[in-house]
Amino acid sequence: MANPIELIPLLVVVLLLVGVQGGTVESMEIITDGTHSVGEIPDVYVVGGGTVTIPANTTVSGDVYVIGGTADVQGTIDGDVTQLSGNLTFASSAVVAGDVQYIAGALDIADGATLESFTTAETLAAQSSSPASSLAFKVAQTLGLALAAALLVRRFEFAFATVGRAVTAHPVVSGVVGLLVATTTLALVVFMAMTIILIPVSVLGVGVGGLTVAYGYLVYGYLVGRRVPVDRPDVSTAVGVVLFAVVLELLGTLPLVGSAVQLGLLVVSLGAILVTYFGLREFEPVSLLT
Amino acid sequence: MSIVTAVRRGDWETLFGYAFFVALLTGGYYYNVTFVQLGLLDLGTRLVGLSETAVSGWMATLALVTLVTAVAFGVTMDRRGWSSSLHAKLRILLGVVVVQVVLTSVAPFVRTAPQFGAWIVLASLSMGVGFPATFALTIDFVAVPDRGAVAAAATALTYFLANVYPLDWHIESFSRVVVAAMVPGVVLLAVLVFRPPPFLERLARQHEQFGVGRFCREGPVSIREAAFLVPLVLMFGVFFVDSLGFLRILDTPSLVLASWQSPEFSMHLLLAVVHVVGAVMAGVLYTTFDRRVLFLATFGLFSFTHLLYTFDIRIAMWFPALATGPSSPLNPAFYALAVSFYTTLNFALWPDLSTPETIGTHSAVGIGLAGFLSTFLSTALALYFQSTSVTLLDHLNLVNALALLLFVGLAVGIYVRRMHSLWTEGHRGEPN
Repeated sequence: MANPIELIPLLVVVLLLVGVQGGTVESMEIITDGTHSVGEIPDVYVVGGGTVTIPANTTVSGDVYVIGGTADVQGTIDGDVTQLSGNLTFASSAVVAGDVQYIAGALDIADGATLESFTTAETLAAQSSSPASSLAFKVAQTLGLALAAALLVRRFEFAFATVGRAVTAHPVVSGVVGLLVATTTLALVVFMAMTIILIPVSVLGVGVGGLTVAYGYLVYGYLVGRRVPVDRPDVSTAVGVVLFAVVLELLGTLPLVGSAVQLGLLVVSLGAILVTYFGLREFEPVSLLT
Repeated sequence: MSIVTAVRRGDWETLFGYAFFVALLTGGYYYNVTFVQLGLLDLGTRLVGLSETAVSGWMATLALVTLVTAVAFGVTMDRRGWSSSLHAKLRILLGVVVVQVVLTSVAPFVRTAPQFGAWIVLASLSMGVGFPATFALTIDFVAVPDRGAVAAAATALTYFLANVYPLDWHIESFSRVVVAAMVPGVVLLAVLVFRPPPFLERLARQHEQFGVGRFCREGPVSIREAAFLVPLVLMFGVFFVDSLGFLRILDTPSLVLASWQSPEFSMHLLLAVVHVVGAVMAGVLYTTFDRRVLFLATFGLFSFTHLLYTFDIRIAMWFPALATGPSSPLNPAFYALAVSFYTTLNFALWPDLSTPETIGTHSAVGIGLAGFLSTFLSTALALYFQSTSVTLLDHLNLVNALALLLFVGLAVGIYVRRMHSLWTEGHRGEPN
C-alpha cells in the first residue's frame, strides 16, 4: 500500500516535471495499489504503488513515472520513463523509444533490454561534482550575479537602498512577513501543482519566488558593498555580492547554526522586499505613540 | 511608560502590572478554551448522559447568556465609572474568580440535566461579568505600544499550555488543572483587594496615560461608527469561520485523533510551538501594520487551512488508496497559526478601540457579538448541518467559501477605499 506522506511530494514532483516538459497532457492515471498488466496507457502513467507489468509483445504509448511500487517492463514503451522511487525492472525483451531517466529507487536492467537514451542522477552528478568543476560553477554563478547586481544598481539603486533600509532597520518585521509569506506560498504552490490545471501557475510561482530570492541576495550584496571602500555603487555592489557569496559558503560549513542563519537571511530579505513593494516605497511602521 | 522603559529603569511595579495582566488573561482564556469549550461537552455527554446535540444546544445557550450579561455589565461599568477604577475592577474579578472556582470544583459532580442547565447559566453569568472587567484592566496595566506584545504573550501562553496539558479531554482533568491554577489567583486578588500594596495607587492612575487606545487618537470611536462596526463584523466573521469549521473537525475522529487528540505527545508539542510562533508573528504584525493587515492575514490563513482540509478530503475521494496512511500534520499546524493570529488581534483590538470611558461597553460588545454571538450562531448552523446530514466535504467547503469571501471582500474593500480617497483628493485639487 502506498504511503501518502511519501507519495504526495513525489507526485507533485511528477506534476511539476510534466508541466516543465510541456506538451499536451490530456489523460493521466495514477496507480497506487493492486496488480495490473497493461496493454494501453494514458499520456502520463504514474506508478505509485502495487505492481504494474507491461507484458512482452505489447506496445504502449505515453510517459511512465515510477514513484513507488513495482514496474516491470517486458514490452515496448513509446515514450519516456522516469524513476523517482520504487522498483523498476527492464526485462531483456524491453524496448523504450524515449529517454529513461533514473533518479532514485531500485533499478534492474536485464542484458538485451533496448533503451534509446539512459541517464542517471549519479552520472549527471558525477559529471558536475568534481571539486574543480563545482568551484568553477560557483565562481561563474557568483560573477554572473555580481554582474547582474552591478547593472541593476546602476539603474535602480533607489530600490536596493529602500529594501536594504528595511533589512537593516526592521529585520524582525521583515523576518515575520517573509516567514509568513514563504510558508504559505510554498504550500500554496505545491497544492496548486496538485490540481494539475494550475501547474503552469505553480511553475510561474516557483519562478517568481526564485527571482525574489535572487533579488534579496543582491540586496545583501549591495549592503555589504556599501562598507567596501569603493566609490561607484555598481562596482561596490558587485564586490559586495562576491563577498556575501563567500560568507554564505562559509556559513554553509557550520552545522545547523549556519543553515539557520542562511534561512534567517533569506526570510528577512524576502519580507523586506515585500514590505517595500520591491523597493518602490519606503517601509514605515505605524506610529503607536499618542 | 512602555515595558522596555520599565525594564531599563527597573520599574518592578509597572512590570508587575504587565505580568499580572498577562497571567489574568491567560488564566481566563485557558479556562474558556479548555474547561468551557471542551470540558462541558465531556461533562454533558459522559457524566450527565445528554446527547451531543443537546449539549451543543446548552453551549449555544451559554454563548447567548454570556453575551447578554456581558453587554449589560459592560455598559453598567462605563456608566458607573467602574471601567476607570482599578479597585472596582479587582473587586469584581475577585468575586468572579471565587464563583468560578466553586463552579469548576463542583462540575465533575453534576449528574442531571437540570443541574447541568443551572451550572451553564451560572457559568455564563460569571463569564459575562468577568471578561469586560478583565479587558478593562488593559488601560491600567498595558501601554498602547505594548498591547500587541502583551496580547501575543497571553495567546502564546494560553495555547501552549492548552495543547500540552491536560492531554485527555475529561472534565475531571480540566477541573483539577483549572482549580489549581485559580487558587493562587484568588489569593493574589484577595491581597490586592483587601490589603492593597502602596504601589497599587500608582498603577490605578496609569489609565490617565495608557487609557486612550491606538485607534482613538483622532478622537473617541463610537460604537455606531464604521471604525468600530467594520472590525466588529470582520471579527465576527473570523470567530464564525473558526467555530463552524472546528466544530466539524472535532466531530470527525480521523481528523481530530491525528491532531488535537493525538496519542503522540510530539503532535501536541508541535501544535503548541506553532501557536507560540503564530502569536509572536501576530504581535509583530499588529505593532507594525494597520489592523487590516492582520485581518487579511487571518482570513488568508483560514482560507488556506480549509483549502488544505478540503483538498485532502477530495484526494481521499479520488484516490482512496492514498488516504489510508496518517493524515498530514500541515493542516492542524496552519489551523493553529490562524487561531493564534486572530486571538492576538482579539486581545489587543477592543482596548485599542476604546477610552477609559468606553472600554467596558466596547470590549463587551466586541467580544460578546464577535465571539459569543458568532459561536451561538455557528453552533446552531452546525447542528442544522448535522440534522440534514451534510457531508464533511460540503461542510468544510462552505467554511472555506466563507473565509475566501471575507478575504477577497476585505482586500477589495481596502482597495476601493484607497481608490475613493485618491478620487476625493484628486477632485479636491481640481478647479470647479
